[in-house]
Amino acid sequence: MVLFPELPFARVANLLSFLFLLMSFLLLIRNSLSAQVRMFAVQSGVLSALAAVVAYFGGSRELFGVAVLFAFIKVIVIPNVLTRAVSKIGIQRAVAPYLGTSVTLAICAGLVVVAFYVMAPVMASNRLPTSDGIPLAFAGVLIGFFTTVNRRRALTQILGFLMLENGIFMVALLATYGVPLIVELGVFLDVLVAVLILEVFVYRIKHNFDSTDVGQMGALRG
Amino acid sequence: MMLVLLLLIPALASAFISLSRRRRVMEWTHALASIAALIVGGVLAVRLGAGEPVALWDLLRVDALSAFMVAIVAFVGAIAGIYAIGYMRLEFDDRQIRRVRLFYALFQLFVFTMLLAVTTDNLGVMWAAIEGTTLATVFLVNIHDSHTGLEAAYKYLIMSSVGIALAFLGTVLMYYAASAQVGEIGLSWTSLIGIAPGLDPDIVKLAFVFILIGYGTKAGLAPMHTWLPDAHSEAPAPISALMSGVLLNVGLYALMRFKAVTDVTAGPAFSSTWLMRFGLLSLGLAAAFLVSQRNYKRMLAYSSVEHTGIIALGLGFGGYWGMLGALLHMVNHALSKSMLFLLSGSILLKYRTTDIRGVRGLLQAAPWTGFWFLCGVLALIGLPPFGPFVSEFIIFRAGFEAHSVAYAVTGIALLALVFAGMLGSVNRMLYGQASEQVKPGDPFRWPMMPMALNLILLVGFGLLLPDGVQEFFGHVLKVVGVLV
Repeated sequence: MVLFPELPFARVANLLSFLFLLMSFLLLIRNSLSAQVRMFAVQSGVLSALAAVVAYFGGSRELFGVAVLFAFIKVIVIPNVLTRAVSKIGIQRAVAPYLGTSVTLAICAGLVVVAFYVMAPVMASNRLPTSDGIPLAFAGVLIGFFTTVNRRRALTQILGFLMLENGIFMVALLATYGVPLIVELGVFLDVLVAVLILEVFVYRIKHNFDSTDVGQMGALRG
Repeated sequence: MMLVLLLLIPALASAFISLSRRRRVMEWTHALASIAALIVGGVLAVRLGAGEPVALWDLLRVDALSAFMVAIVAFVGAIAGIYAIGYMRLEFDDRQIRRVRLFYALFQLFVFTMLLAVTTDNLGVMWAAIEGTTLATVFLVNIHDSHTGLEAAYKYLIMSSVGIALAFLGTVLMYYAASAQVGEIGLSWTSLIGIAPGLDPDIVKLAFVFILIGYGTKAGLAPMHTWLPDAHSEAPAPISALMSGVLLNVGLYALMRFKAVTDVTAGPAFSSTWLMRFGLLSLGLAAAFLVSQRNYKRMLAYSSVEHTGIIALGLGFGGYWGMLGALLHMVNHALSKSMLFLLSGSILLKYRTTDIRGVRGLLQAAPWTGFWFLCGVLALIGLPPFGPFVSEFIIFRAGFEAHSVAYAVTGIALLALVFAGMLGSVNRMLYGQASEQVKPGDPFRWPMMPMALNLILLVGFGLLLPDGVQEFFGHVLKVVGVLV
């Protein structure tokens, strides 16, 4: 349902939305942790570009600020923290999901279909030129969620969580041109703190369990 | 003014404690802040419970429902706060002063985030505050830095973060539905409920599902409860008391706010059905784990899942009685569970094990702890003359009235199962002969004394509901859209 196909805005937004989802899939098929972190950084870069585009066409200076801040935190700070964690822990090939790559890809493709189905009521009522990207963004949320559940390593679970966060930010961006600034700042702050805390935990898990495989955690049952 | 003071007390106390060096200073700051917050919160609740809501800078707003929550947070905060001083003295000596400082500072920060979550009008700030509760408590869960503590803290952090992220998605969708209706609006609950009749019901329903899963994770609803037994049993007793007694209620509070909006837009049937399903599932899963539980802290934690389920059932049954029962049960559960978790700390200090089979002859070895533990458990499993009996009765009565007979009957059967299971476990702990190594006598007495208030209030809520209190609940019910 494209209301303004002639506008370059809608096309640019759709292209970026597509690239966003593509990055999710590229992250899934990468084997090394540092490559996955890079994919996440690229995805965040695409997202901040999208925020900037929306800010430009929507004429919102605040949103432009959000885009810059987003790029700073999610393209620079968090990937750096994660890369440092990867090199300190000293594992490179650390995917070890519960399900193999081909099954994972098939499930994620299914999740994209589900996303279109679930977001149907939102699409039906949307009069914004960015609406075509909403199901793609929601597919990003679902894939992030699935990654968190499917991965064994603490670090890849964190990456899944961050992908989920990216997807939610994108839904917010496309559906509403960004929720009010104070909330977004709160979100960034929380994500940043959560990642820092999680990083501390990754070290401790490594230290205590001699590996970051959360599948080994099984003392607490019943 | 009072409102700002209420939030400033724990925030400043947390900052001050994290800068102080001497244990005595930390303890005094912590104790005074806990009591001051109770006094201010109590005054606020009494003043606002009867009158008009108070708003401040478009950010804070306290109506009767908020006042109700402030009272619970401040009360349990004070009881657990005083107990914490005695508990920490036995658990961490002065060589571990850094952990003591971390504990008191995060305790106050935790109270601050909960108070902020229930006093703000802005749904985004509420979201951030509830996320803040996770961040404040995650180090407290792992304060012993043990294998199991780490496992619990990690699970807690990941599960809560994902849950809270989904709640954010729900909030965004709600905002989207509102902005499609009236254009640019703030993210305040007051304006949302004002325009609720005109919102798109399909989007609001979708939003509510995400909110229910998201905040339901925080409230401990099955099947998103898996972090709860771990985190609540690994945390030090005062924190378990706050997490089980209050934090779950904060999650339920967020659900109630969104339920009120959803009910106006899409009719109450939608949210009711989902709440009843999740409620019964929680009750059933918890009952399965309670029948033969070997760890008494996990037993209390699973019982929290059970009671969250009962409250969700009450919210789902709805109507005057269902909602009133749910509110009363929130209070009763907070009173009894916080007391039991604190006492579980005393038992742990005494027997040095969380295994039910390792605890024998509690009544004889530690008479005060044992007797109060018995009273608390009797209250919790729903025996008269304690409050939970009344609130459970009201909830299930509402179930029959709302023609949800199947849910009500299954719920009552599950309650009977829990009753038998918990009583069996607790019997084994209370009677018999304590082993030779266990020194007779309670680990400490004065930090336990404030818990007498819990018992008095539990009996009070079980026997009578004075006019003033009834009127207060009437105002709270009006806020969530129930006609009184």
